[in-house]
Amino acid sequence: MRDTPPAMSEPAARIRSANRKTALVLLSIAVVFFVGIIATRFMGEGAAGISVMGTVVLLFLIVAIGRNLRSKR
Amino acid sequence: MSSIAHDHAPGYGHDDHADHSHHPTGITRWLTTTNHKDIGTMYLWFSFTMFLVGGTMAMVIRAELFQPGLQVVNPEFFNSMTTLHGLIMVFGAIMPAAVGFANWQIPMMIGAPDMAFARMNNWSFWLLPPAAILLMTSLFVPGGAAAAGWTLYPPLTIQAGMGMDLTIFAIHILGASSIMGSINIITTILNLRAPGMTLMKMPLFCWTWLITAYLLIAVMPVLAGAVTMLLTDRHFGTSFFNAAGGGDPVLFQHVFWFFGHPEVYIIILPAFGIVSQIIPTFARKPLFGYASMVYATAGIAILSFIVWAHHMFTTGLPTAGLLFYMYATMLIAVPTGVKVFNWLATMWRGSMTFETPMLFSIGFLFLFTLGGFTGLVLAIMPVDVQMQDTYYVVAHFHYVMVAGSLFAFFGGAYYWIPKWSGTMYNETLGKVHFWSSMISFNVTFFPMHFLGLAGMPRRIPDYAQQFADWNMIASIGAFWFGASQLLFLYSMVQCARGVGPKAPAKPWEGADTLEWTVPSPAPYHTFETPPMVK
Repeated sequence: MRDTPPAMSEPAARIRSANRKTALVLLSIAVVFFVGIIATRFMGEGAAGISVMGTVVLLFLIVAIGRNLRSKR
Repeated sequence: MSSIAHDHAPGYGHDDHADHSHHPTGITRWLTTTNHKDIGTMYLWFSFTMFLVGGTMAMVIRAELFQPGLQVVNPEFFNSMTTLHGLIMVFGAIMPAAVGFANWQIPMMIGAPDMAFARMNNWSFWLLPPAAILLMTSLFVPGGAAAAGWTLYPPLTIQAGMGMDLTIFAIHILGASSIMGSINIITTILNLRAPGMTLMKMPLFCWTWLITAYLLIAVMPVLAGAVTMLLTDRHFGTSFFNAAGGGDPVLFQHVFWFFGHPEVYIIILPAFGIVSQIIPTFARKPLFGYASMVYATAGIAILSFIVWAHHMFTTGLPTAGLLFYMYATMLIAVPTGVKVFNWLATMWRGSMTFETPMLFSIGFLFLFTLGGFTGLVLAIMPVDVQMQDTYYVVAHFHYVMVAGSLFAFFGGAYYWIPKWSGTMYNETLGKVHFWSSMISFNVTFFPMHFLGLAGMPRRIPDYAQQFADWNMIASIGAFWFGASQLLFLYSMVQCARGVGPKAPAKPWEGADTLEWTVPSPAPYHTFETPPMVK
């Protein structure tokens, strides 16, 4: 049977949580670009595709910046 | 650069590293390691192995081009060689080498105990060998390896055999590895810097890698998307790029170069970072214009997203588009010029010495600038229309990639090998390696400018009689350049085996970054409690 790992100190836990958040944000950017580039072409018409892609990026920025503003307050 | 106090702040993270100075030995160590130094070492050896494999392919290409006519290989195999040479050198040699440097140096330079996601770091590396095996295996499947050039343009890639599927799969794996590596690097730099190490106090190598990692996260998924669409066109009846089904082959070029142009900077920015560490050390002066170097790096990265269509001047773009891409491309010369000026200004009136790392950095500066100038020539749309797909383009990008990235990486390896191995390299051998590489590189690639201007197309196994002399000279230079790299291999193996004088903690008088505050070789775990940076 495996021993329970030792409890993590508070600063270490905080750093770990910050690392995970940063990684998730970066991963979501990568996913948006991967899905977006295929989706824009799949929709066929170029202008519509770019509009969708643009809206997604804009929404992403609003949500990301909005969360940040809220946490500052 | 920042000054460093040696007292350590308590309460820093990474508890899981705190008490295991014992680690597995033998093959288990390398398979299961989560230590950034081990992983950096694996990246560097992997990249050098792939450099030798890609280099061997270059030798096959140059052997075939030694004389006009078909002598050594058939045209199909020649095309596979040019394709695999490009893919292996870009994705297998240069990019992993840069990640190897990042793994070794970034945690030590910012005072972090390791990378933020140590297990993911191991996984990022171990994805590379399977991808390399897939690429190499594609040579032995029916229809042979991909032969459409490293740019993988349809319709050739839609019609190609099974080798193309293996290539697509390999690119997916390499892309996943790069994205994981980038997430790790960004997170490490943003969250694990030592107290007092503000972003604007970071060594420039860390800055260039931070920006490179952002570039990778933005463009690698785009390449993955492009090759995924290629795959569905080949096997699932879609017509993204298949003109027969209403698709648009030129669209692939747009998507590919949206990745491909930033990729050039992904390759060159870490090299800029390495040179920015070496030149101040051997000029014994702080880097001139640190802040402007940071802004120039960011400027280059941003501009790299809006110039992709300069690779497509002959595809029939609207005139306004041609003008936009031409001027936007020329604009990149401004931040690049800032960098070159700052490196020169750092050397100006410095107490310079010319050890091997400095020689490679000066070689980089001279040859990369030459490659930049020919890039400027190619940015001029009416000129590019004449030069498109000629050997002038081959000369240009080898001046940027080989004399740019590779020379800087050689410089970086000589600069940091005392820290990595605890042994000084053989200076005489290093200098012979530099001069031999410098001369043979120019013998190989300078004549290609003449060949291109005279109209010799790239990616052909045979050519007209009038191109024979310069091709013969280029081939002789290529064999010489290839052989020169064995000196580097010998030097590095000797250091790894500990043959040579012992290296002090700080072998370079002018070095002032954090990694030089720890003993040589660097202990298995460093900065478990972070240093205070003032």
